[in-house]
Amino acid sequence: MSGDDAHARELAMLGTARAQVRFAVVLAILVALPFVATPFQLDLANQVLLASIGALALMLLTGFAGLISLGTAGLLAAGAYTVGVLVREVGAPFWLTLPAAAAIGACLGLIFGLPSLRLRGLYLAISTLGLHFVVVYLGGEYEARATLSTGIMIDSPSIAGWTLSSGRAWYFVLLGFAALAVLISVNLHRTRTGRAWRALRERDVVAGALGIDVQRFKLMAFVVSATMTAVAGALFAYFRNFVSIDAFSLYLTVQYVAMIIIGGMGSIPGAVLGAAFVIVFPYAIEAIAGYLPARFGNMVFALDYAAFGVVMILFLLLEPDGLIGIWQRMRNWYVARRAGAAPMKARR
Amino acid sequence: MTAPLLTVDSLQVAYHRIAVALHGVSLRVMPQTIVALLGNNGAGKTTTLRAISGFIGLDDARVIAGTIRFAGEAIENQPPHANAARGIALVPERDKVFPNLTVAENLTVASSSRAAAAKRRQLEALVFQFFPALAELRPRLAGLLSGGERQMLALGSAVLCNPQLLLVDELSLGLAPVVVEDLTRRLSSIRQELGITILLVEQNAGVALTIADYAYLLENGRVVLEGAAAELRGRREIQEAYLGQASGEERRSYRAFRHRPGGEPPHG
Amino acid sequence: MSQQLVANVVVLAAIYALVSAGYVLVYRVSRVLNLAHGELMMVGAYLLVATAGLFSGNPLVGLLLAAVCGLVMGIAVYAVLMRWMTGEAVLASVLITIALGILLRGLSILIWTTQQLYPAATFGWHNPPVAIGPGVRISAASVAIVILAAAVYAALFVFLQFTRWGVRMRAAGQNPLLAEQRGIRLHGVYAFAWGLSTFTASLAGMLLALDSGVESTMATIGLKAFPAALVGGLDSLFGAVIGAVIVAAAEIAAIQYVNPLLSDVVPFVVLLIVLAIRPWGLFGSREQLDRV
Repeated sequence: MSGDDAHARELAMLGTARAQVRFAVVLAILVALPFVATPFQLDLANQVLLASIGALALMLLTGFAGLISLGTAGLLAAGAYTVGVLVREVGAPFWLTLPAAAAIGACLGLIFGLPSLRLRGLYLAISTLGLHFVVVYLGGEYEARATLSTGIMIDSPSIAGWTLSSGRAWYFVLLGFAALAVLISVNLHRTRTGRAWRALRERDVVAGALGIDVQRFKLMAFVVSATMTAVAGALFAYFRNFVSIDAFSLYLTVQYVAMIIIGGMGSIPGAVLGAAFVIVFPYAIEAIAGYLPARFGNMVFALDYAAFGVVMILFLLLEPDGLIGIWQRMRNWYVARRAGAAPMKARR
Repeated sequence: MTAPLLTVDSLQVAYHRIAVALHGVSLRVMPQTIVALLGNNGAGKTTTLRAISGFIGLDDARVIAGTIRFAGEAIENQPPHANAARGIALVPERDKVFPNLTVAENLTVASSSRAAAAKRRQLEALVFQFFPALAELRPRLAGLLSGGERQMLALGSAVLCNPQLLLVDELSLGLAPVVVEDLTRRLSSIRQELGITILLVEQNAGVALTIADYAYLLENGRVVLEGAAAELRGRREIQEAYLGQASGEERRSYRAFRHRPGGEPPHG
Repeated sequence: MSQQLVANVVVLAAIYALVSAGYVLVYRVSRVLNLAHGELMMVGAYLLVATAGLFSGNPLVGLLLAAVCGLVMGIAVYAVLMRWMTGEAVLASVLITIALGILLRGLSILIWTTQQLYPAATFGWHNPPVAIGPGVRISAASVAIVILAAAVYAALFVFLQFTRWGVRMRAAGQNPLLAEQRGIRLHGVYAFAWGLSTFTASLAGMLLALDSGVESTMATIGLKAFPAALVGGLDSLFGAVIGAVIVAAAEIAAIQYVNPLLSDVVPFVVLLIVLAIRPWGLFGSREQLDRV
């Protein structure tokens, strides 16, 4: 029946010809990139892909399900340290460490998610903040006791004699993981889970009255998000061949929060865009620093902090819908111009 | 003929930009009169009051058409403190006092940018004259007051702002009839002695009509009936509104009645 | 616990209490959690470094001037930034304060570098240890902190309970809409709350700077004081004092008897325990949980 066909087309992700063409073009660009980019650009792309995973994970939790979490850095650390500890203590291979990191992530997700059953909004954020400090402390403790230097060295993962170390190889691996993250996000968004999460986000009291098992879906959101983040942390450990607790500060969490704000809350392309923005930003600042008097130019990280703070404030004040919001407004304006009508105001 | 103190003309108010709550409400309040706004739940009475007082930002509501003129000035979509400065005081339906402040502190808070210190003292004395019970309750936390006492405190605080127009949202809600009768009498004497104009929103039409000079009946965001209080008291529509649902066949919508002015609004 | 330990707890509690007052003031009056409070305290300390440079022979003038600048800084933060977030979602306001904190940290390093600075040295004051009992010694600056914390709380209590402005601020915190309708200008009240908050934070920062110098990581102390405010109840000044004592005692005990590395995490463990058992704190009001 035609009704069924239309519905099926709607559900299929690449139902229309236009969507298929767009997808093919994007795919072509993504595949070609490592062969035309410089090593520096390639490394940048790899960082963006890696960050996207964490950004998508946070976006699932906060953008979709409306559950605030300031625990990203702690979860990344957990994944990275799982790899570090297993490699250092027992020399485990990557096909053991990665699932282990995912499992640790899932457990932590459960723990981080428990407060969400009783607390909302601000208080939930505060509880995740507290948990962040606990995780970071544990990592620091291990480092202090077990290692002589600050941090753990990790060999690149290898299989059957071939080692994953070139930028290009990493690109395709990370592209695969990032694509997987996008796929998971898109699917969760469109299925019953996604709808339940959206209901949670609006009014969890009402959602409960509608028969949605609020507790189960809240915990699921945390577990899925934490697992993804921990895996990202594990990949990060292998990517940099090094793990140290100093890298997992509150500032790192804020950067991920900024990614989904700058990109656009609740939007999958937004998370990726935001990740790209936040990763590239320090390099842009570094370039500018070259033009400043030496006194400032030498303290690039402080310049980075200050500039980052300003940009975040600007986005929060002026463009709460992020880059996606700007993009949509430009599109509306363009479409309205073409139709000859007065431009519409963007709806919140 | 004296000019009305408050004129609402074809007012349309929408929540979240799409849910229209008022579909063109028009009413006039003459100075030093008591005007009642009647109707069932959801008729739009509170929305009208919010629009006039400036509390309209709640629940993302906005005046999308029509005008509200107070003492000659247009006041749609102004913030609450602007309207308070103009001399409009609101006694809201809920959250009408500061619960963790004492009665005395609640009264202190009501500050007036329009009154000098002498006038303030005079008003304070008057408030305790209208509501003698408040004098004894001065040290008590407002959150611990009974419903009637709280309403008295709310009214007293509003009067202390030295308003020209007093808006009261649901005077009688949740209060015993004896208490309500007492409050309405006091409200009447406030109007008498201070010459304050009062716009009273009430579900209980009988109560409102005992002290009102003029009344409007709202249904579904429209004025369906208006007239002098004495006239409206006997009307069947009012009795239906007062008693709630009529049964079966008789349950007619007031749309069946054309909007008819019930005569000239009384002069002040 | 030995008497020296008790003295240490009292000093640490005084620091946390003095800083917490700022969290409580802003939260109680304007329902915003200011996570830039630690950085604002740090800037207050740096302000003393600046005034010390200008008035090195006149420490009292330097202190007073820096404190006044601290007050103005709070009002400025509200007037320029936070006022636009009034009425917006609470979480967005908190995120903006986090961003502000990052900005302030970056600016401070750019202006004063990462070196540890000692305004006490600029004033020519060497912060002598003071014996307050048999075998118990704390620094002179610590004595000042304890005295100042007590004075500030006393002053705040009198202000909020007995003055007109104080009652207005409490009213605005309980029911902002009704307050507006009764003629209270919310923007003015909020700005003043922010000013008072950074004023007290600056005082804390300045005394800490006189005691042990200032450096950009001082902001962490501000963050550690936050659990004290939460334990007591984010909208209760009295609770902040009790919370400060609890957190300080837990921290000192942990450092002494378990592991010095625990110093930074103990406050947050206390925070998690309180969130699990009684999220609105010991003396906070329950309703505030729903407002967020």
